[in-house]
Amino acid sequence: MSDIITVDNLVEVYSDGTKAVNDISFSVKEGEFFGFLGPNGAGKSTTIKILTTLLRKTSGTVTIAGYNLEKQSADIRRIIGVQSQETTVDGDLTGRENITLQGHFHQMNGDEIKKRVNELLSLVGLESAAEKRARNYSGGMKKRLDLATALVHKPKILFLDEPTTGLDPQSRAAIWTYLEKINKEEDITIFLTTQYLEEADKLCKRLSIIDAGKIVASGSPIELKREIGADSIRISLENCQRDNSKAKELINSLTDVNEIIDSEEYLTVYAKNAGLLIADIVRALDSSDIRIASVTFSSPSLDDVFMKHTGRRIRTEELVKAPSAMFGGRR
Amino acid sequence: MRYLKKLVRNPILLFFSLFQPIIFLVLFTQLLSKFSSFIVLPGGTYLEFATAGILLQNAFGSALQSGNSIVADLDSGYLQKMLVTPVRRPAILLGRLTSDAFRVVIQSAIILGLAYALGAFVNTGVIGILLIFFIIAFFGLAWSGISLAIGMRTRSSETVFAIGGFLTFPLLFLSTALFPLSFMPKWVQDISMFNPISYAVNGIRVLMTTGYDWSTILQAFGVIALVAAVTLGATLYMFRKVVS
Repeated sequence: MSDIITVDNLVEVYSDGTKAVNDISFSVKEGEFFGFLGPNGAGKSTTIKILTTLLRKTSGTVTIAGYNLEKQSADIRRIIGVQSQETTVDGDLTGRENITLQGHFHQMNGDEIKKRVNELLSLVGLESAAEKRARNYSGGMKKRLDLATALVHKPKILFLDEPTTGLDPQSRAAIWTYLEKINKEEDITIFLTTQYLEEADKLCKRLSIIDAGKIVASGSPIELKREIGADSIRISLENCQRDNSKAKELINSLTDVNEIIDSEEYLTVYAKNAGLLIADIVRALDSSDIRIASVTFSSPSLDDVFMKHTGRRIRTEELVKAPSAMFGGRR
Repeated sequence: MRYLKKLVRNPILLFFSLFQPIIFLVLFTQLLSKFSSFIVLPGGTYLEFATAGILLQNAFGSALQSGNSIVADLDSGYLQKMLVTPVRRPAILLGRLTSDAFRVVIQSAIILGLAYALGAFVNTGVIGILLIFFIIAFFGLAWSGISLAIGMRTRSSETVFAIGGFLTFPLLFLSTALFPLSFMPKWVQDISMFNPISYAVNGIRVLMTTGYDWSTILQAFGVIALVAAVTLGATLYMFRKVVS
């Protein structure tokens, strides 16, 4: 299959000098489900804005479906569908009217729109709510309606900027099902950005991990995880500040340890047969009077891939640091 | 189209945005109904005189909401949603502006109807009324330009209202909208000579009272066109900046 999106050496420098996208190159094949995985502020949305003609790039070459991004932006707009991070449905209009209006934006004719709107309402399961005003929809329903409006003109490529951020797990799973269906049934290439590991793991056939404006790894989820080549053991110590470096030394001296990453709050140990190693590690630390707070064992996840390339976990900042700071402040 | 539909969907907004001008119309004209007995007004009664001013005041308020709605579209991302479709850029602004003009004409019709009920006639008949609508719609467009430009620059609806409100009252009272020139102190007279509102109001007023005084009517159009050129130019400039 041929490439439908090719990006070479893309750079975006904001007027304040921030390098939001720092020299990235990648390509997406026709019909593929491709994803950008990365934390907040990694440059995902910026990249989508450039590819969807909303933001002018600083330098680099981008071709979409054979069209040059700069010279043929009007042609590109005709064949792409975009769902932005914010849900943009008009609350004063009904679900049906929202999709119909979008059809008019795409200069489709009336009969064509009518037919398509019915198709889409059933595709995203909103038939029964079609005549209700979108204002009264739930968050998940609004997202689904937004998705339907992005599909009205049968785009070749669908860009989704964090389609499930802020949704509850149930609505998220529903959106996932619809996305897989759209990718297969409508034969649409999907470019998705996400900060959710499970989402990238479940949906994307291929993905790039992006951090601080750079692509740090690319491949299918399975390939990326295989690259880690090892299970991981996460150990947190009762007194990490004092013991971390000593513990690291001890564990390193054990055989079969591939790598240890010290992320201040805990140590992550990578090893081929990590299960067998746990006892050794506990014994070694115990004999040196280092007390262990917890040990977790896991097979490689995309989080480990991210960790390996950036030294951080994707959501450390949000989930771990915020609550501890809060408690500290109250005491 | 979308804005028109929204308008119809929000009859309450339409109704309440009419409230202020209606209260003005009734209060001012009743309070000052004795006005014409000690000052000679270009129309007959004060009601006939003030209706033109109230019509413009309404256009002012209406235009303010225009900037507000573009802020909402910027915030919600709806503007971006339109921008990634093949819709031509100017059409997005044009749609906004036409629905504004449409709304202001509907409101004006209601106000004129009420003024008629209170006893004010448009002496030039149907064509005069159409011309009045045309002046108001055109004026409304020119003023929408200001609030749209402010909206796109500041991206804050509070600011649009603050600046809009700040502009509305001085401009209205420092013009011939509600009081005749001869009634004003010299310095207000001087200011109102340079106030575009005065010219627009005079245009509507002659159509209501004296008849087809073409020099006044053309003056009104000329001044509004000038204001429109400046404000819509600013809007277009800001829009380009927002879009790119």
